[in-house]
Amino acid sequence: MKRTMKRRLFAAGRFFLLGIALFVVGFPMYWMLITSFKPDHEWFTWPPVYWSENWTLDNYRVVWAGIGIKPTAQEATTMQKPVQALKHSLALSLISTTLSVAFGTLVAYGVSRYQILSDRRMFNLLMLRMVPPIVVAAPLTLYYSTLQLLDTLTGLVIVYVLTTLPYSIWMTKSFLDEIPREMEQAASILGAGRWRTIWEVIFPLIRSGVVATFLFILILTWSEYLLALILSKVDVVTLPVQLSKYEGTTEGRVYGYQAALAVGVTLPLIVIGCFIRKHLVRGFSFGMIKR
Amino acid sequence: MARIEMKELRKVYGRGIEAVKRLDLDIEEGEFLVLVGPSGCGKTTTLRMIAGFEEPTAGEIYIDGRLVNDLEPGQRNLGMVFQNLALFPHKTVAENIEFGPRMKKVPPEVRGRRVREAAEMVRITHLLGKLPGQCSGGEAQRVALARTLVTEPGAFLLDEPLSSLDAKLRREMRAEIDRLHQRLKKTFIYVTHDQEEAMTLADRIVVMRNGLIEQVGSPMQIYGDPVSHFVADFFGSPSMNLIGGQVSHEGGRARFEAPGLAVELPPALARAAAGETTLGIRPEHLEISGNGGVFRGEVRLVEPLGKDTLLYFDRGGDQPLIAVVEGTRSYREGDVLNLSVDPGRLYLFGWDGKRVR
Amino acid sequence: MAQALPTRKAAPGFTLFKWILLGPLFGLLLFILPAFLLQLYFSFHSWTVYLGSWWEAEFVGLGMFIEVLMDSRFWWAVLRSLTFASLSTLGSFAAGFGLALLMHRPFRGHGLLYAVFILPMLTVPVVIAYTFEMLLFQRGPINGILSVLLQTDVRVTWLAHPAIAVFTVIMLEIWNWTPFVFIIMLAGLASLPPELDEAARILGASRWRIFREVQLPLLRPVIMLALILRFLEAMGEFPKTWGLLQGGPGSASETLPVYLFLTTWQYFHISKGAAMSYLVLIFTIVIVLAGIRLLRKEKQTIDVIYRKPGEEA
Repeated sequence: MKRTMKRRLFAAGRFFLLGIALFVVGFPMYWMLITSFKPDHEWFTWPPVYWSENWTLDNYRVVWAGIGIKPTAQEATTMQKPVQALKHSLALSLISTTLSVAFGTLVAYGVSRYQILSDRRMFNLLMLRMVPPIVVAAPLTLYYSTLQLLDTLTGLVIVYVLTTLPYSIWMTKSFLDEIPREMEQAASILGAGRWRTIWEVIFPLIRSGVVATFLFILILTWSEYLLALILSKVDVVTLPVQLSKYEGTTEGRVYGYQAALAVGVTLPLIVIGCFIRKHLVRGFSFGMIKR
Repeated sequence: MARIEMKELRKVYGRGIEAVKRLDLDIEEGEFLVLVGPSGCGKTTTLRMIAGFEEPTAGEIYIDGRLVNDLEPGQRNLGMVFQNLALFPHKTVAENIEFGPRMKKVPPEVRGRRVREAAEMVRITHLLGKLPGQCSGGEAQRVALARTLVTEPGAFLLDEPLSSLDAKLRREMRAEIDRLHQRLKKTFIYVTHDQEEAMTLADRIVVMRNGLIEQVGSPMQIYGDPVSHFVADFFGSPSMNLIGGQVSHEGGRARFEAPGLAVELPPALARAAAGETTLGIRPEHLEISGNGGVFRGEVRLVEPLGKDTLLYFDRGGDQPLIAVVEGTRSYREGDVLNLSVDPGRLYLFGWDGKRVR
Repeated sequence: MAQALPTRKAAPGFTLFKWILLGPLFGLLLFILPAFLLQLYFSFHSWTVYLGSWWEAEFVGLGMFIEVLMDSRFWWAVLRSLTFASLSTLGSFAAGFGLALLMHRPFRGHGLLYAVFILPMLTVPVVIAYTFEMLLFQRGPINGILSVLLQTDVRVTWLAHPAIAVFTVIMLEIWNWTPFVFIIMLAGLASLPPELDEAARILGASRWRIFREVQLPLLRPVIMLALILRFLEAMGEFPKTWGLLQGGPGSASETLPVYLFLTTWQYFHISKGAAMSYLVLIFTIVIVLAGIRLLRKEKQTIDVIYRKPGEEA
């Protein structure tokens, strides 16, 4: 059974390799999750606690609801912030993502159908995003401080929209390219104007792609760290920044609390990711893949 | 030379979809065998099982007496032309043709010669340096052919190779394939859904339906002696007139009656069971007669095809009655005509679809 | 690639249409522009926060730029960034491509595995930094698991020893971004016509041959895309290096972004930071432009290769 034997061997090999990959990927996430439920005496044991019998919700209570411990005054100010930071992150992410996708879809439509941006410009756009944000951070700080935009929601929104536009344009464009021109030609012959065609014919067809792009960019804006760190001080602290401040203040390694905070910050993204995972493959071609 | 035998072949897919229910077939050396049938009948699955791209759920395939179920496609000494050609788009025509011999480690000088010979056989020597994307549809076809020819396999498998071509090109390529078969005298197994291709190319036709073989025979047998309603309907252009009606017996004679049409059945069909039956008459066998005949009606539509003209008659059923006359005769819509038919040209099909003999 | 409708361009109202679409994008770009001009000003004038108001800063011409270029710490940072970016890009490429090859053909449970494998990309980088800090703790699970596997007490201080720390942060970057390559390569593999594989098989090619001669050449554009995008993003990586190591131990992980950050926001050498930013910007733009040219060439090759036989150019 030479052929079936070969096939079995391959399957076994693949199973083995994927198993290792699964562990490498999954273990850190698993650890983060269980640590968030560990009581404090299990945070530093050796050998480590891989499965806690005494799991508790205390960490979550402390971090997210602010109850249960008596911190020092300094710790107190930082440790009550997560919920506020959550609100800021939500506002910032939702607003900037909506704007980015809205503008991006418009531009993508123009590029896909009418090539309002040449191929070269489109790539330049993509590369815009590739410039290390740190390089942009310095000029922005000065500029914003002059304009009184430092530590404001508006300031951050503008920057986030700019940095995510390349992705939103490229991804939406690849979804648009899947729709044949004949659709619009048919609508046009039947008398529909440009805007109506976009709204009634094109948009419903790319809806799932747009949703996927939206969620992906939401992930980007939610996890952005550097610009949020630099362009905010007190008023618009986002979750990632808050997390690092938390780190800085609680140098005593409060692993449980950290984990609870980390889970809170990451969970929304994981949920989102699960919803859009099928679309990611379609959106990530950047012109290099022919269908 | 390859003689291919398939015993009790069966293929079931995941959700219980039986693509091939049971297939027993022996393919002779050097014959041009066509597997034909509607989409989903199992013909492509069968071809792919012969090639080795699908593993049979049950049954055996023998090539030259050797059981090949367990062999990889590359080890079966077969060549295949795919429906969408599958030319390597990033390699030149020459590199495409050269690929097979290279894989079998044929030394470069011999390779070069064989590539040129194959290219000459299908007349594409001028294209050797081009990319497939730069060739026209017909040219690409030939490249695909050359690519398999050069490996000198024992048998050739062709999976609907002409379906993406326009009508004229299709005829040209058909002739080309026929020519190749005459010259090489190797086994050709050809899959198509086009009955005309089957009729013109085949030494033998295998009609498939729902995963089973419906009928096997030469083109003339299939055409003239269909074993069922399905086969009769499938072959022939325009297709056979199939008229539903009743058979009754009267005084030792059998008679077929349908709305607008009545015919006395010849002695050969006199033993047909009474009751619901389908009568079949090929359009080319209906003749315009002066009077009498089996049918009288008004011409609803005239379709001139050049050599022939098709006349459509309303029969009161849902299908029109079609007759073929010589193109030189001119009839007009509205003409009322009598149609007669030679009783030897009548086909009778029972309620189960099978032919009554 | 969608084709333009040429006649539409001449229609009246089209230009208006075009500018409505592009408006927001250009508006934002124009808004941001002065920031860079301001930055330019600062790179030509010497100023730190400790001096007075910025418009009284002293003009020093190219002085700042020269100072940066003469700064060996700067060049070390460049070197570290390049090393970090190259190694992590190669690592995540190998892992991502490998995973894509393993997952390319569907099998039972493959959807679930796919969902799990993209998780690292969905995690906030700062979170990754702190979670791994927990994992890499001396008495933490990684050492714990290694101890079990090697049957001895493993007490590696992953973050305290310079070489190991750098290795660790490279591994983190690979862990974080392998899904990105994974998804792109999956898309690429999925776009390969399956008949090519079958045609090659029946012509006698072995699996390895098919990979090298049929799949790899056709995947080149996608591979370049993944490598270039990943490399550039890795050059600018900040959250994990800063969050985990703050440039240490010592200055072992002081990459360009970290050094830039320190210069401007910790040492407050605004002008030096400004000049450095500009140099890095120029440096990045050069790499980016090279990357663009490569990608555009690949795209053109794709367009030629995939033109169907019979289609007009």
